[in-house]
Amino acid sequence: MKMLLASAFLLFSAWAQDDLGPQGPAVKMAPAPVVTVVQGKPATVPLSFRVSSGYHINSNHPKSEFLIPTVLKVEATTDIVIGRTTYPEGQDMSFAFAPDEKLNVYTGDFKVDVLVRPLRSVQAGKYIVRGTLKYQACDNAACYPPKQLPVSFDVKIAKAPPAPTKNPAQSPHAH
Amino acid sequence: MKRNPLILFFIAAIVAAMLFAGIRMARNNRANGFAKGQLIGQLAPDFELPALDGKNLKLSGLRGKAVLLNFWATYCGPCKIEMPWFVELQKEYGPQGFQIVGVAMDDASTEDIAKFAKEMGVNYPILLGKESVGESYGGVSVLPTTFFLDRDGKLIAREFGLQSRSVFVDHIKKAMSQGHAVQAQK
Repeated sequence: MKMLLASAFLLFSAWAQDDLGPQGPAVKMAPAPVVTVVQGKPATVPLSFRVSSGYHINSNHPKSEFLIPTVLKVEATTDIVIGRTTYPEGQDMSFAFAPDEKLNVYTGDFKVDVLVRPLRSVQAGKYIVRGTLKYQACDNAACYPPKQLPVSFDVKIAKAPPAPTKNPAQSPHAH
Repeated sequence: MKRNPLILFFIAAIVAAMLFAGIRMARNNRANGFAKGQLIGQLAPDFELPALDGKNLKLSGLRGKAVLLNFWATYCGPCKIEMPWFVELQKEYGPQGFQIVGVAMDDASTEDIAKFAKEMGVNYPILLGKESVGESYGGVSVLPTTFFLDRDGKLIAREFGLQSRSVFVDHIKKAMSQGHAVQAQK
């Protein structure tokens, strides 16, 4: 009986909670894969994002100087060098508010790659890298102030294989 | 006394539904209620902001004129569509005691906002907005957001997002027909 009541309450609570979800446009990040990197070697971390249905955000290279580009800022760390961030090309799209104008935007799913390179001296283990994705969304009739989505991903650093030992050339034996 | 599981389930469902309705109402009040329930029909919150020409403009200084108060941003495409209409409407209704006031709600530099306004041929004052002013109007989380004030400074309507030109004309005519047309104070 208690189980039945609890289930009913949970069901409706979940429904209510769902309604309390983010209002308006949102960009969400999918859990990033844990990338294993060898000390001193570079690796790419793919970060996947999703723009809510019905909205678009500017690409990293919007077509107007007045538009706010989507930019991922990764916090510098002492152990891992953060390299180049690679953004996907946006789609050229027209919207109801400006049918003659093409905007370069991201809609739906898009991926941003971050190059990381742990220092040779860094200890092996798991490290968390944090940052923010700044974006500005619009729909067909309105725009929304820029937002910053917190981003984090794990980098697992593995020990570099030991350097091959040099065998000293053996001097020929004199017989 | 034995409790009927179905009745208890029904009661739990009603309680949960009431909770859900309450949450929804609270959210709606938070999002719209301030403007819908309290702001419309009331005197528009007064503010004084710097304009692109370097002078300050006080909203209450426009008392006696009907005012269209447009919150916009340079990054807002739909706002860009409305601006040429506003230019025309200012020309058409300005002589009858109507004033458009744009409030730029973005982080762009004053130079960029001025450049944008010049490109759009804006013929009405553009003010450099502050978050606190937006909040006094119930929070401006959607751009464009446009308010209409009658000649007494009372808020008579609000529109979110891009609207048709005729919607603006209707509100402007209504705003001009209400309140007292007195000489605006300087």
